[in-house]
Amino acid sequence: MKLTETQIQELYKFTRAHFVYHYDLQTELVDHLAGGIENQIAKNPQLSFQEALHKEFKKFGIFGFQDVVEERQKVLSKRYWKIILRFYKEYFTLPKIALTLLLSVLLFLVLKTIPLGYQNYAISILFVLFLIPSSIKMVIYNRILKKKKRKWMLEEMLLNNIGAFNFIQLPIQFMNIRFEVVNPYILGIISIFSVSLLLLFYVMVFIIPPKAEELLAETYPEYKLMQSV
Amino acid sequence: MGNSKLYKGSLNTIILKLLEEQGKMYGYEITQKVKNLSKGELNITEGALYPALHKLEADGLLDVEVEKVDNRLRKYYKLTEKGEKETVNRLAELEEFIRSMQNLVNPNWSIE
Repeated sequence: MKLTETQIQELYKFTRAHFVYHYDLQTELVDHLAGGIENQIAKNPQLSFQEALHKEFKKFGIFGFQDVVEERQKVLSKRYWKIILRFYKEYFTLPKIALTLLLSVLLFLVLKTIPLGYQNYAISILFVLFLIPSSIKMVIYNRILKKKKRKWMLEEMLLNNIGAFNFIQLPIQFMNIRFEVVNPYILGIISIFSVSLLLLFYVMVFIIPPKAEELLAETYPEYKLMQSV
Repeated sequence: MGNSKLYKGSLNTIILKLLEEQGKMYGYEITQKVKNLSKGELNITEGALYPALHKLEADGLLDVEVEKVDNRLRKYYKLTEKGEKETVNRLAELEEFIRSMQNLVNPNWSIE
């Protein structure tokens, strides 16, 4: 006996009810459950769909799908970081490294000229200035995500920039650390570090999300298939 | 005994070996195949299989393909080139391990 379309939809609902929110993972689990149920009913035709489902789900152990979801998250966040690195590296290769250096030199000059005691504020302001357009972008991405019927785990990571805001808090902390640096080498390091960090956020918030579609197709062979349905 | 820790360490190797033999397989098929081959002795738990598959995929050892089968999507796994090489290594490693365990557990005594 083959499961009907309605029963397959019921299985999707079942995975959602058991805390699997992403379509990519749901699909794999639905196929698994469906295979198991079909097999059980073939062996024992008296068995109802619900009974077979219950039996099949039990095989996942007391934690249900939790392990599967957690492991998938780990694997995909690794993938996300690899994607970030791929795009981030461009800022350290020839045409763009000039931009990175230029920005670092500019920041260095600013830090060097402003009166001692205000350097930490200069850096904080720089980050806050960056934070404003990025927050707007993030809100927009969030709206896009919410509207989607199907959630893809990687898409959520790409558009939500996991942890980006935690990093952003870091420079805000500068506000509270008073430092008066005269040594040009240390100023240089601070400049390069701040610019590199900002470029990293820039890549996460402005460069990668518009490429989400492409990256999802690369990760999920079923992505394109589903877009056309 | 079928689900003991002894087997857990070899789960990845079992998956790789199966895919080497069968070409492409999907999750449920792998659990069934293992059950059949081991005559029910070894029961791969679903909670362990998928994390293992996803990890192997992330490591670049497996590639995925999706097909519409009946009225649902099915995700197939197959070995990448890197995966094929790794399978050979892991199998050799496992055989070596089995041999040393045999020597440890059941040494050839001879009183001559």
